[in-house]
Amino acid sequence: MNLKGVKPVARVLAREVAVTAFLLLGVSAVVFGILYLAPGDPFSLLLEGQTSAGAPGQGVREALGVPKAWHVQYLSWLAGMFRGNFGASIRTGLPVLEEISRVGLNTLLLTLGSMAVTLLVAVPIALYAAVRGVNRVSFPLTMAAYVVSSLPVFWFGYVVIYLFLHTFGLFPVASGGSQGTNRLYLLLPIVVLGLGNGTLSEVIRHLREEMGRVLSEDYVRTARAKGASVWKHAFKEGFLIPVTEIVASKIPFILGGAVIVEQVFNWPGMGRMAWQAAQDRDFPVIMGIAVLAAVFVRAGSLLQRFVYIAVNPGASRETVERRAA
Amino acid sequence: MRKRYIQAPGRSDEASGLRFLRKADAVDLFFVGYGLLIVVLVAASYAAGVFRLLPYDPEAVNLGLMLAPPGTAGHLLGTDFMGRDLLSRLILGIQAYFLPGLLAVAVAIVPGAALGVLAGYGAGRADRVITWFSNLVDSFPRLVLILLVVAAFKPDIYFIMVVVGLTNVPATVSLVKVKIRFLREKNFIEAAEGLGLPRRTIVLKHILWHHCRASLIIRATLGMGEAILMETSLSYLGFGVQEPTPSWGNMVQSGANYFLQGNFWPSTVPALAILLSILGFHLLGDGLNNLLERKAVH
Repeated sequence: MNLKGVKPVARVLAREVAVTAFLLLGVSAVVFGILYLAPGDPFSLLLEGQTSAGAPGQGVREALGVPKAWHVQYLSWLAGMFRGNFGASIRTGLPVLEEISRVGLNTLLLTLGSMAVTLLVAVPIALYAAVRGVNRVSFPLTMAAYVVSSLPVFWFGYVVIYLFLHTFGLFPVASGGSQGTNRLYLLLPIVVLGLGNGTLSEVIRHLREEMGRVLSEDYVRTARAKGASVWKHAFKEGFLIPVTEIVASKIPFILGGAVIVEQVFNWPGMGRMAWQAAQDRDFPVIMGIAVLAAVFVRAGSLLQRFVYIAVNPGASRETVERRAA
Repeated sequence: MRKRYIQAPGRSDEASGLRFLRKADAVDLFFVGYGLLIVVLVAASYAAGVFRLLPYDPEAVNLGLMLAPPGTAGHLLGTDFMGRDLLSRLILGIQAYFLPGLLAVAVAIVPGAALGVLAGYGAGRADRVITWFSNLVDSFPRLVLILLVVAAFKPDIYFIMVVVGLTNVPATVSLVKVKIRFLREKNFIEAAEGLGLPRRTIVLKHILWHHCRASLIIRATLGMGEAILMETSLSYLGFGVQEPTPSWGNMVQSGANYFLQGNFWPSTVPALAILLSILGFHLLGDGLNNLLERKAVH
């Protein structure tokens, strides 16, 4: 066996981290670039109707210490972020990072929870379909998953609210952030996003195909012939890797769905904040949210690489990339 | 007709194109048929718009007949909170997503395929740059990126759909790249190169046309489904198509205020339309996938 091609795991991992850092730098450049190219600036919105056009706006810019040259702007923003200073909201004047971390936990809860819901629904269906093939049970379930993932989540949310409010009379709807209300209410948006984020059918399909492929591999057949546990042999390649792969690649979709679900359920999170910031042209807030969301996405895919390398330490960069493609 | 000297055993020349149809699953045919039905409905909506076949003026307000349930006074699907005919708005709402959606698909497919070819053929540096670019685009949650663009430019739906298309470029790139990596080692590409065919012919004809066509069409149908979801979501959030122009998204949004009071139809009608259309494009993609890819395997 030729071990020369196998790099030490630590070095591969370090490389992944470096690539991630480089990508995040690119993300910050894109975020800054888009807003730098924006016509006008949010100050004009802020000053709307308060001053005559032109010179006074300039004064405000100088008073708030907005530098002129683009590279100075970018670098000071970037340096600020490294020190944990994301700037202050133009609308409210509050520091962005504190505002985001105040509501960020809610969004994290929502996205992670709904991911768990998606997996709870998808995994049994996928595994059953992989083992038994298309039959009277798996086909209707798969079709139902198709229909559910085509549901527009912004309508699905209202249906669920209506059902629970009028039929069961259970939850204080539109309670917002006030804690101490019915804990179960928290589950509602999580379940809605978990079912309706549009990834359910793709998760099922991916898992079913991968598991089906692995189950027909020679080593699984050998295990079966020996009487060893098929599940144990198929677990890593047929379950662990595809699940982490699909979860990592669907994080952006779930975060996007969170924007809508938070709107429907009046859930105080990053999504609503991003929506408000887009409405108000509140640049520092939307920049901060975009960067943090990208960090979240990258962290997910880093985790996926780690799992992949942990499962198969011989994975050199080449194979990692091939799997990612 | 060209003569074939080598024939696969057990395979006759005649009607080989139709053979796979006969062998195909009824389910796949149903999927494709249903998807095509949706496509026909889209075309019909344009015809209805152009030839003035809409039952009512979609923007005509009738305050005497607000929130009428389906079937009242000639309004087949009822009216919304301003007494506007839901069926007419529904039909016209198709146009809110269709052309922008096509734009998104075109932006995803054409540059995506070109970059995929570059990455697949171009050794080393080009591949690395393109992969990095793909990972960069994939780092953004799509809706967050769009909110960023909305904040910056206050764009119209076409501009937004270009961004949606751009976020789909990496998927096309990796699809084409993997295909090329796989095909490059095949005999017929080597033969074509040995015969001195120009690179352009090999890429356009032998690789893209003959081997990527099916997957690209499938990607396009899936992309269309995503574009519908994106347009309706954004219109729901108030950033896409603006009232009074009907879009299924803003119809759901304006009907939602009355949903909790028990007036379901103003938001349920467009919501079901969204559901059925997205489902249609997804099933079309899936059915085509099964039909075409299976044919390629046999």
